[in-house]
Amino acid sequence: MAKNCNFLVIFQCKHQSIVLQLAQYTLRKSPVPDCNRCSCFVRNAALESSGMALPKAVKTGTTICGIVFKDGVILGADTRATDGSTVASLNCQKIHYLAPNMYCCGAGTAADTEQTTKLISSNLELHSLNTGRQAPLSTALKMLAQMLFKYQGHISAALVLGGVDRLGPHIYSVHPHGSVDRLPYVTMGSGSLAAMAVFESRYRPNMELEEGKKLVRDAIAAGIFNDLGSGTNVDLCVITKDGAQMLRPYDVANVKGARQERYRFKRGTTAVLKTRLRKFDVQEEEVVSMDTSEASGSA
Amino acid sequence: MSSERYSFSLTTFSPSGKLVQIEYALAAVAAGAPSVGIKATNGVVIATENKFKSILADEHSIHKVEKVTNHIGMIYSGMGPDYRVLVKRARRAAQQYQLMYGTEIPTGQLVQRLAAVMQEYTQSGGVRPFGVSLLVCGWDHGRPRLFQCDPSGAYFAWKATAMGKNFINGRTFLEKRYGDTMELDDAVHTAVLTLKESFEGQMNENNIEIGIVNESGFRRLSPAEVKDYLANIV
Repeated sequence: MAKNCNFLVIFQCKHQSIVLQLAQYTLRKSPVPDCNRCSCFVRNAALESSGMALPKAVKTGTTICGIVFKDGVILGADTRATDGSTVASLNCQKIHYLAPNMYCCGAGTAADTEQTTKLISSNLELHSLNTGRQAPLSTALKMLAQMLFKYQGHISAALVLGGVDRLGPHIYSVHPHGSVDRLPYVTMGSGSLAAMAVFESRYRPNMELEEGKKLVRDAIAAGIFNDLGSGTNVDLCVITKDGAQMLRPYDVANVKGARQERYRFKRGTTAVLKTRLRKFDVQEEEVVSMDTSEASGSA
Repeated sequence: MSSERYSFSLTTFSPSGKLVQIEYALAAVAAGAPSVGIKATNGVVIATENKFKSILADEHSIHKVEKVTNHIGMIYSGMGPDYRVLVKRARRAAQQYQLMYGTEIPTGQLVQRLAAVMQEYTQSGGVRPFGVSLLVCGWDHGRPRLFQCDPSGAYFAWKATAMGKNFINGRTFLEKRYGDTMELDDAVHTAVLTLKESFEGQMNENNIEIGIVNESGFRRLSPAEVKDYLANIV
C-alpha cells in the first residue's frame, strides 16, 4: 500500500529568490521514509500550514570564473565565505583539487562544494589507479553532473571545472541541478554578472599567460568590489599540460586596516574602593616515596 | 560474497586443529612465482618474477607490481586473479580512509583492512580463501614499512622477506645479506640477487618487475631502470 505525501520542494534559481512548488511524492511501502529529506518536507509543510513563515534562502556568495588561454586554462575565485550577512571566513579556499591536471571552483553552500569535490576527487583517483591512466576531464564532468542531478538540485553546488588532459584544455560550468556547459570562459556565483561583464568586453581566444591572469584577476576583482557576497583576495590556478600551479593569494585586493591607537583601558580607569590583606598559613608538605618493589622477608 | 547455495563455510577444522583449506592456499602460494621485499633506511623495494609462458605474450601490459595509493604499493605470490580482487579492495579502502579521516592511510591500517578481508573469506559461506600472499610496502611520513598478508588473514611486519617458490632459500639468503643500515639502491640490488637465486633461465628487464617507495612516493621502475640494475650484477 503506497503512502502519498505532499512535499514542499524548494527550487533555487541562480539569480532569483525562492520559487516554491508543491509536488506529489509517492513513498514505497515501508514504515520509515526512504530519504531523510522526506520527513523534513513533511515537517516544513506542517509548519507552513500552521502559519509560520518559511525562511528565505541565502543567496550564494562568491565570484568564480575560468578561461581557456593559449597554453591551458586559468581558474579564479574570491575568498569570502558568508553566513547570511556576516562574513564567516575572510580567506577560504574555493578552488578545489580534483586531480593533478584538474581543479574545480565551487560556489554555493561551502560544505556542498567541498564534499562534492572531495568525493569526486577520491573516485577519480580510484578510477585512474584501476585504469592505469590519467582520467580525461569529461570523466570528472560526468561524475559531478550525475551526482548533482541525482540529488535534484538539493546539493547547492555551482562549479567551474577546468583542466588540461590529452585532448587539450577545457573549461566547464556545472549547475546545481546537473546541467553542464562547455565554453571558452565561464563565471558562476553571485558575482558572476560582474565577472562576466569583464570577460565579455576583454576576452580573446589564445591569450598569453600574463594577459590571461590579469583578465581573470580583473573579473574576480569586479565581483569582489561590486558584489557583497564576494570579497577579500583573488586566488588563481593556472593549469597547463605541464601541471597545475595554485596561486593563493594571487592578489591581496583587500588589506585589513591596522589599528591606529592602543585601545586598552588605562590603569585607574576602574576605581579601587577598598583593599584588604589576608594572611594565609601555608604548610609545606613533603612527599617521600617508599620503595616497595623489592620482596621483603625470606625467599 | 557468499554463494546462494552455501550458507556454511567451506573452510572447516580438521581433527588435528588445522584449517586444511588455508594450508592448501599456502601451498598454492608456495607454488607461485617468487617475490621479494626489503626495507631500507630511506625506502622499501618489492620485486617479483613476471615470466610469460610464450614469446607471443605482450609483456608490460599486465603488471604484478601495483600502486595502491601514492605512498603504498603491493605485489603477490600465488593466484593472479585473486590478487586483482585484493588490489581493488585495497585501493577502495585507502580512498575511504582518506574521505573519512582526511589523511592518507597509514600502511599498517591498510594491511589490517586487507587482512580482515582475507580472513572473512576463511569464515564465510560458499567461498574459498584467497590463494595469494601479499607484500605491501609503504612510506608513512618518513618511515619505511613492509608487511606480508597471508591467506589466513595473518599479517607480519618484515625487514626483509621472500615468498613463493624457493622462499626458504630466499629468506636464508636475505638473512645473510640484510643490514639495518642498507640504503634503497643496495636494497634493490639485493632484491634482484635474491630473485636470481630461484630464477630459471636468463633474467632480463622484461621478466622481472620492481617497485620502490621512498619519500617521493611509490612507483614501478621502468624497464630501462630495471635494465640498469641488472647490468650491475651480471
